[in-house]
Amino acid sequence: MFKQIGAVTMINLRSIPQRAGLSLATIISIALVTGVLLGFLAMSNGFRATLQGTGSDNVAVALRAGSQAELNSGLSSEDVRLIEEAPGVARDSEGRPLVSGELYVIVDGTKRASGTDANLPLRGVGPQALSLREGFEMVEGRMFEPGTNELVVGASVLREFSGFDLGETIRLGSNEWVVVGIFSTGGSVFESEIWADIAVIQNLYNRGTAVQSVRARLTSVEAIEDLRAWEEDEPRVNLDIESETDFFASQAGGTAVLIEFVGWPLAIIMAIGALAGAWNTMYSSVDTRMREIATLRAIGFSGFAAAVGTMVESLVLAALGGLVGALAIYLLFNGVSASTLGSGFTQVVFSFAVTGGSVIAGMVMAVVIGFFGGLVPAIRSAYVPLLTVHRSE
Amino acid sequence: MNDLTLIRKNLFRKKLRAILLTLSILIAFLIFGVLGAFYKVWNSGAELAADNRLVTVNRINFTVTMPYAYWGRIQAVEGVEAASFANWFGGYYQEPTRQVQTFAVDPESYLNVYPELVFEPEQRAAFIANRTCLAVGRDIADFYGWSLGDRIPLLSNIWQKSDGSSSWEFDICAVFDGREDYPANYAMFHYEYYNEDLAFNQDQIGWIVIQTQSADMNASVADTIDTMFANSPAETETATEAAFSEGFANQFGNIALILLFVVGSAFSTILIIVGFTMVTAINERTGEIAVMKTLGFPAPRIFRMVLSESVMLSLVGGLLGLGLAWGMVTLIAAAPGVSAFLPGLSMPQNVFIAGVGLAVLLGLLTGIIPAINAQRVKIVTALGKQ
Repeated sequence: MFKQIGAVTMINLRSIPQRAGLSLATIISIALVTGVLLGFLAMSNGFRATLQGTGSDNVAVALRAGSQAELNSGLSSEDVRLIEEAPGVARDSEGRPLVSGELYVIVDGTKRASGTDANLPLRGVGPQALSLREGFEMVEGRMFEPGTNELVVGASVLREFSGFDLGETIRLGSNEWVVVGIFSTGGSVFESEIWADIAVIQNLYNRGTAVQSVRARLTSVEAIEDLRAWEEDEPRVNLDIESETDFFASQAGGTAVLIEFVGWPLAIIMAIGALAGAWNTMYSSVDTRMREIATLRAIGFSGFAAAVGTMVESLVLAALGGLVGALAIYLLFNGVSASTLGSGFTQVVFSFAVTGGSVIAGMVMAVVIGFFGGLVPAIRSAYVPLLTVHRSE
Repeated sequence: MNDLTLIRKNLFRKKLRAILLTLSILIAFLIFGVLGAFYKVWNSGAELAADNRLVTVNRINFTVTMPYAYWGRIQAVEGVEAASFANWFGGYYQEPTRQVQTFAVDPESYLNVYPELVFEPEQRAAFIANRTCLAVGRDIADFYGWSLGDRIPLLSNIWQKSDGSSSWEFDICAVFDGREDYPANYAMFHYEYYNEDLAFNQDQIGWIVIQTQSADMNASVADTIDTMFANSPAETETATEAAFSEGFANQFGNIALILLFVVGSAFSTILIIVGFTMVTAINERTGEIAVMKTLGFPAPRIFRMVLSESVMLSLVGGLLGLGLAWGMVTLIAAAPGVSAFLPGLSMPQNVFIAGVGLAVLLGLLTGIIPAINAQRVKIVTALGKQ
């Protein structure tokens, strides 16, 4: 029985070159469908990875209640001072609270890809900002001097936007700035930002001493509850407090899910088209081998073996298509840098990521197409009338 | 029996094959049609822009505000027919997730520069006269179930009143429509009413909309304005409405390129499947074609017949696909709430026409090789085969 199946399957597979055209058509069409799916998944996975790779459980982000985004928020220096004294907030070795009040202004940067302007955050930070970002390092140049018109640029900004090279002078409105350093935070969202001294930005943009967000290092992950409890009881503040991890994870949701919501239905509809193609190919395969199958049946091979042979051929073609599609997308897109408008209303630079999970999803889809494409032709090959042997071509 | 009958019979001689091919063609055109309709909505900002309308924003970025006084100074610039301004309110209704696109405007001048907004005359007058009035686009009003005379609070996720609250009370005294495809998915109210209570950023505006006397004057007007405010604390950048919309759409990424990849993949798929199948199908018929030639069918006629067969197949699949796309788009557009987010979603005529053109092209491309093969069939060798 298994010998029969093996023999018929080998005959099927070895004869594929005789139907090279149609078989190639099946492989390519399934490769394209898999490619479309994996392309969308690589986009959404890359975007999600960037946002989920940002932030720490040990850092709390406080915004004005109801403001939803850093951009909309506004807090006074009094708020910052109160948070510095709040329970659960960690201090450095010299007893200074690890709290950073920050604000940002959206400025225009020119996208390299399109040459059009896009929103970039110019974040004003104080000395404590660095101690609240794990993995922060200067890749080139140095940190800005407080009180000057110097700024440092995230590595992702440099990759996607033109005009931010080290030493370059940038005109933002009527002010000129000098790029004195390039920093990295290990691929997180902060790398899509430009940083300068907070006091200079407050002054230039007439913000007084106001900030938009306050980041605080927590004594422990659980200490965020102490901070929240304090906020509830403290009438002088009205804040939304979230862990930094949650803050960025919630931002990942919308865009990443949207991309998948577009990608999956498109891929499934295209899969139906490819399924029709695969079915057609297998149908022709059975058609051209009518006499051969009938001969096998006449010399004692079972109809089941013939069916399995046809099905395996279909699955092999589909799997090949899936592999070709996955490989092509991996080579073409994996690691490719792109940027889109994030929920902070500024550009988030991310890299396409072809993940193992998405490749598996793509392969499963390819094999499913192969299975349904081969099903009816396989059944048909099991019922080839023996008399076909005598039919003259 | 004329040629058409013969072509049709040939096409459907293997029914299953014809159906499967039609199905794969249909899918590609369905994708083309639906994505084409969505792309039109996506691109509508630039498409619907008036060619003599300019937008002035702060040069740093359009989210950075400018002094209110700029409005007056711009109105005096030569070549400016009319000008108005707006500020982004960041509005939401009850819950932060229920966002309402809301602008603070100067009603009379705003309606002058946007003749696309259609108001009942008495509602227009009420909006201009009543300082607590909220003029609501039809799509928004339908979505939230608001009607004329309702008094509703809108909250802002940006602005605060001097008493610390972020809620403004409005009376809905006008519900407006957009002319043709123009979106009516936002709300607007009196800038004065909102500005007087602001805790911060008073007397600042977000962007200025300018109607020039004619599109020829766009460049000179833009230049004059930007020069006028150069070296001031709030420098400006003036662009045509179309360029501004396009720039904003580009911020999300190169959507056009992504769609091109998807549609390209879908069409490559059917090109390959249909192309190879047609070659196979005609090869199977070599003997028949030889017989036809023996009967006196001239080679060009056979060439035409094979080509017509593939064009017919493409057209059947293509028209079915475009029809299905039209049906789907119409269904989606009619679903509750969709018009607030995808205003003007419909099957664009030019997408439909382009689709039919593509179907003919696909038919010609997939039919040309089999047609040449068929034309070249030699009676002696073909019949000798048997």
